[in-house]
Amino acid sequence: MKNLILRNRYTVLLTTLIVYVVVLVAEGAITGREPQSVKFENPYFDLNLNNFEEFRERRNGSNRARREDGGDV
Amino acid sequence: MDKFAIYQFYGLLRREVLEHRNLFVGAPAVVALLILVATTWVATRIDPDRLAEGLRYLSVLFDGLSPFDMAPFFMVAAAPFFITLAICTVIYLINALYQDRKEMSVLFWQSMPVSNLQTVVAKLVAITVVAPIFYVSIIFAMYLIAMVWLTVLGISYDVDLVGIGWMFLAALVSLVLIYISVVVTSLWLLPTMGWLLLFSAFARKTPLLWAGGVFILVGFLEDFIFGTQYLANWVESRTADPNQYLIVEFSSVFERVFNYDTLFGILVGSILIAGAVFMRRFID
Repeated sequence: MKNLILRNRYTVLLTTLIVYVVVLVAEGAITGREPQSVKFENPYFDLNLNNFEEFRERRNGSNRARREDGGDV
Repeated sequence: MDKFAIYQFYGLLRREVLEHRNLFVGAPAVVALLILVATTWVATRIDPDRLAEGLRYLSVLFDGLSPFDMAPFFMVAAAPFFITLAICTVIYLINALYQDRKEMSVLFWQSMPVSNLQTVVAKLVAITVVAPIFYVSIIFAMYLIAMVWLTVLGISYDVDLVGIGWMFLAALVSLVLIYISVVVTSLWLLPTMGWLLLFSAFARKTPLLWAGGVFILVGFLEDFIFGTQYLANWVESRTADPNQYLIVEFSSVFERVFNYDTLFGILVGSILIAGAVFMRRFID
C-alpha cells in the first residue's frame, strides 16, 4: 500500500486529495454544514436563500398588514 | 528535543529569513514608509488651526482610558500591514517548495542532515510565527516615529498633549493583539496554507494555476460523485466572517483557538501538509 501511494507524484497528490475530500464530505454530512452567505442576517430582516419561499410569504404578509393599517398605498 | 535539533531548526528558519528578506522586511517597511509619507502630506494640506484642534481632540480621546480598550483603534491603522502580509504569505507559500526544485537547490538541502518534514515545518513556522515579528517590529517603529512627530507638532502648535502617554500604551497593546491575530489567523487558514504548499511541491510549472484549477475541479467532482457541496460550504464558512479569527481582546484568544472549527481546520491542514512533505521526495 505504502509503495503504491508513494509510487510517483501523481499517486501522492491523488491520495492526499481523496483523503481531503472524504474527510470534508464526511464532516459536512455529520454536522450538516451549510454556507453562511445564504443566511443573510441583519437588524432589518432575515433572509435564508435555502427557504426563499418563506421569506417571500413573510414579506407579502407584512406588506398586506401595512396596507390594512392604512400606512402604505 | 535535543540541542542539535534546535540548532537545525534555527538554521532552517534563518535560511528562510535570509532568502526572503523582501517579503519579511522589505514589504512592511515600504508600507510603513508610504503611510508616513501619506500622513505627512495630508498634515501639510490641513489648516494649522484645524490641525491644532485635531491634535487636542486626539490627545483628549485617549487620556485616562484603558490601553486595552483603546488598542483596537490602532488595529485599524494596521490593516494595510495585514493585507500586505496576506499577499506575501500567498507568494511565499506557492514558491516555497517550487523554487527549490526550479533552481535545483533542493539537491543541496536534501544532502544536509534535515528531513523533508523539518524543512516544510520550518517554512510554515517562518511565515506564521517569524514573519509577523518583523511586521510588528516595523509597525512599532512607525508608531514611534508618529509619536515623536505628534509631540513635535504639539510643541510647535502649543497644544498640551495630555493623553499621548496613554495613546502610546494603547499602541503597544495593539502590537501584541496584532501578533496574536496573525498567528490565530494562520491556524484558522492552515488548510489554505497546506493547499498552497502541496501544489508548490507538486507542480512542475505555474503552481498557483495548479492550486486554483484543482481547487475548482475538486469542488465540481464532489458535486458529481457525492451530489453534495460540502467543500464549497466549508470554504465559504471559513472565509466569510473575519470575526472568526481576528482578535480584538485578550479574553477571546482561548475561545478562538480551542474551538471545533479551528481544531478541525488544523486537522485538514495537517493532511495537506503531510501530502506536501511526501511530495517533496520527488525531484524533477
